[in-house]
Amino acid sequence: MGEIAIRTEQLTRRFGALTAVDGVDLRVNAGQFFGFLGPNGAGKSTTIKMLTGLLAPTSGRMELLGLDFQQNPIDVKRQIGVVPEGMGLFERLTGSEYLHFVGRMYGLDGPTTVKRTAELLDFMQLADREKTLIADYSHGMQKKLALAAAVIHGPRILFLDEPFEGVDALAAGALKSLLGRMTERGVTIFLTSHVLEIVERLCSHVAIIHQGRLVAQGSLEELRAGIPGAEGEKKTLEQIFLSIVGQSGAEQARLEELTWLT
Amino acid sequence: MADLNQLPGVAEQLKLVAGLRWNLLKNNLQSKNNRWDLIGMILAAAGGAVMVIGLCVAFYAGTYFFLTRGRASWMQLLYWAIFLWWQVVPILVAGFGANFEFRNFLRFPLSLRAFYILGFGYGFADFAAVSSLCWIAAMLVATAVGRVELLPVMALASLLFVLVNVTLERLIGSWLERIFANRRAREVLVGLFVLSMVSMNFLNPALQKWGGRETQPNILQLIPYFSWLPASLPGNAVDAASNGDFQGLAFTFAGLLVWLGATSGLLWLRYKAQYLGEELSESGAPARAKRGNHRQAATTTLPGFLSPPVAGVMRKEFHYLTRNGFSFITLLLPPVMVVFFSMQFAGNNSMVKEHGLPPQAFFPAAMAYLILILLSPAYNSFAFEGRGIQSYFMAPVRMRDILVGKNLFLVCVVGLELTVSLGVLIWRIGFPGFPLLLSTVAAAAFAVMGQLTIANWSALSFPKKMEIGKMKGERNSGVAVWTAFGVQILIGGIATVVMLAGGWFGKPWLPVAVFAGLTAAALGGYLASLDPLSSLAERKKELLIETLCR
Repeated sequence: MGEIAIRTEQLTRRFGALTAVDGVDLRVNAGQFFGFLGPNGAGKSTTIKMLTGLLAPTSGRMELLGLDFQQNPIDVKRQIGVVPEGMGLFERLTGSEYLHFVGRMYGLDGPTTVKRTAELLDFMQLADREKTLIADYSHGMQKKLALAAAVIHGPRILFLDEPFEGVDALAAGALKSLLGRMTERGVTIFLTSHVLEIVERLCSHVAIIHQGRLVAQGSLEELRAGIPGAEGEKKTLEQIFLSIVGQSGAEQARLEELTWLT
Repeated sequence: MADLNQLPGVAEQLKLVAGLRWNLLKNNLQSKNNRWDLIGMILAAAGGAVMVIGLCVAFYAGTYFFLTRGRASWMQLLYWAIFLWWQVVPILVAGFGANFEFRNFLRFPLSLRAFYILGFGYGFADFAAVSSLCWIAAMLVATAVGRVELLPVMALASLLFVLVNVTLERLIGSWLERIFANRRAREVLVGLFVLSMVSMNFLNPALQKWGGRETQPNILQLIPYFSWLPASLPGNAVDAASNGDFQGLAFTFAGLLVWLGATSGLLWLRYKAQYLGEELSESGAPARAKRGNHRQAATTTLPGFLSPPVAGVMRKEFHYLTRNGFSFITLLLPPVMVVFFSMQFAGNNSMVKEHGLPPQAFFPAAMAYLILILLSPAYNSFAFEGRGIQSYFMAPVRMRDILVGKNLFLVCVVGLELTVSLGVLIWRIGFPGFPLLLSTVAAAAFAVMGQLTIANWSALSFPKKMEIGKMKGERNSGVAVWTAFGVQILIGGIATVVMLAGGWFGKPWLPVAVFAGLTAAALGGYLASLDPLSSLAERKKELLIETLCR
C-alpha cells in the first residue's frame, strides 16, 4: 500500500442542530485521482472546506501527507492547492496580478512567480486577457484562472470543487491531460463533481457521502462488485451512485404523478 | 403545446407583480438581522411622513398665498421644487447600483404594452413620487379654498405635470440602468458624483469672492429660457388662467402635451429596446493585450526586506486602491479639504478673519480631521475582498502577515497624505515653528499607531462586505462605526490634552517627547497584538468567509 495523502478520522461538522458531516473516515492514497461524490446538501463542500482549512471541524482528526492539519496548518497548506466553491478570486486584479499574488503568498520568489505566471496563462489560453480584470472574465475563464492559481506552487495534493463547470470542451481536455500528468508524478487529486461521467473517466477511486455520512469508498471495481446485478454486466458510476444514494422507485412514483407533463 | 388557455391581462399582471413585491418585503423581514432593518424602516417612514406632512402644509400655504395675493406667476417655484425632488431623489436612492429587478419580468410572456404599463406603474411606487403627489394634492386643496375658479386649470396642469414627471423619471432611470450596468461607467460616475459633492463646499467661498450684485442681472436674463421647461409650464398655465390669458393658457397646455408626448415616446423606445433583448452586459469585450507585458508589470518589486506574502498583500492593496474610484478620490480629498478649511477658518485669506483659528490650533485640528477620514477604512479593511478572502485562509500564511501588509500600505498612504497636507498648510497659513510641526507629526504617528490594533480587531470581528462602484448601503457595520468613533474620540482627547500641556507648562517640546513615548508604546502593543489577532482570525474565518463571499 502506498503513502496515504489524506486521512480523516471521525471528521464531524455541525451547524447548530444540523450535522453536515457526521464521523467521516476518509483514506486517499498518494497519486490517486479521487472522486468525492454525493447529492446536493450531502456534505461534500463542507468536507472539502475542512480539508483545505476554510472551515474548522467540530470534532475528528485530519491528516494530510502525514501531518496533522490542526497542528501544522501552515505546513499542510504549503503542499496543497485548492479550487474552492466560488473560486476565491480577487476580482479587481488582472489575471497575471492574481497569479503573481498567489505565487508570493505561497512563498515563491519573484522571478519564479513571473515565469510560472506566464506559462500558466499561456497554458490556460488566458495570455491575451492578462490585462483584463478578473471581474470581466467569463465564468469559464475564471475557473481556468482559479485552476492556474491552485497549481502555481506545485502542490502535492490538489482539491478541486467542480473544476470543469463552465469550462469549454477544448480547455477541459487540456486540463484533464494536465491533471492526468500530475497524478502520474505522484500528485493526489481530490475532485468533487456532479458530472458522474467525468468522475468515472478520470478517477480511479471514489467515495460517496450521503446525508453527512460516508456510505461507500474504494476503487470503481470494488464499488461495482458491491452492487448486485447481472453476471458480467459492467455498471456505470451513475448506476452505482443511484443504487447507493438514489431512491429510484420513489422518483419513478413521483414522475408518474406529473401526468400533465409526462 | 403549452397548456395555456389565455395570458393574464395587464391588470392581472400588475396584481401579480404587486403580490410579488409584498412577498419579497415580507420574507426579507423574517430574518433576525432584517428585524433591525424593519425598526430602521419604521423610524425612517415616521421621519419621512413628518417631512411630507410638514411640507404639505408649506405647499398649501404657499399656493394659497400666491393665488390670493395676485402672485400666481410664483406658482412656478412650487412646481420647480416638486420637479427637482421627483427627478433627483430616485437617482440618489438608486445609489449607483445596477438594478435589474424590473427587467427580470421580461422572462415572462408579457406584451410590450403590458411591460410599458408595468414600468410606468413602478414610477408611482417610490417615495419621491408619493410625496410629490401629496404636495400636489395640498396645492389643489389650497386652490379650491383660495381661488376655486382656477381649480380645473390647476388640476389639468397638475395631471399633465405628474404624467411628464413619471415618464421622465422612468426614462432617466432606464438610461441610468443601462449606463450603470457597465462596471467602469458606474465607477466613473460614482467618482464624478463624489467630486461634485465635494466641489459644493467651494460654492460659498466662490460666491463670496465672485458672486457680487453685478453678476445677478446676467443670471436673471436666463429665466425666460426656463419658461418652456416642464416645471415652469404648470405655473405659467395657472398664471395665464388667473390673468384671463387664454392664448397663453393654450400655449402652456400645448407645451405640457409636447413634453408628455416626447417623454412617453422616448420611454416607449427605451422599453422597446429592453423588450427586444437589449444587451446590458456587465463588461464589454476587452481589447486584446499584447503578450509579454505582464513580465514587465509583475517584476516591479517592493523593498526586499518585506516577506513575499507581505509584499504580495501590499501590491494587491495598491491595485485595489487604484481601481476603486471612491477610495481613490477619498485619497485625493485631504489636501483639497485642507485648502477649503484654510480658506474658511484660518490664514491670511480667511473668509472669517476675526474668527480665524491660529496655527497652534489649526495644524493639529486639520491633521486630526485627516486621520479621521483616512483611518476609517481600516476598521473594515476586508470590505472589498469579496470571495478573495478565501485565498488568505487557503494560503500557507498567518493572518499577521496579511494584517501587516494591509497596515503597512495604509501607513504609507497616510504618511504621504499627511506630508502633502502639511505642505499645503504651510503654504496657506505659514510655517508654524518646529515644536508645533514636530508635535503635530508625532501626534499623527500616535493617532495612527494607536488605532491600528483596534482597527484590525474590528475588521476581523465585524466585517461588512462592500462593492466597488456602489454607494447605496456601502458603509462599515454599526459596531465598527461606533468602535472607530469611540477610539478616535479617546485618542483625540489624549492628543488634545498633551498638546495643551505644552502650553500650560511653557515647554513647547514636551508634546513631542510625550507623543514619541506614546507612539512607541502603541507600536509595542501593535506588535504584541499580531499573534492574538491571527488566532482571532482563525476563530472568525467562517464569519469572514460567509460575510464577504455572500
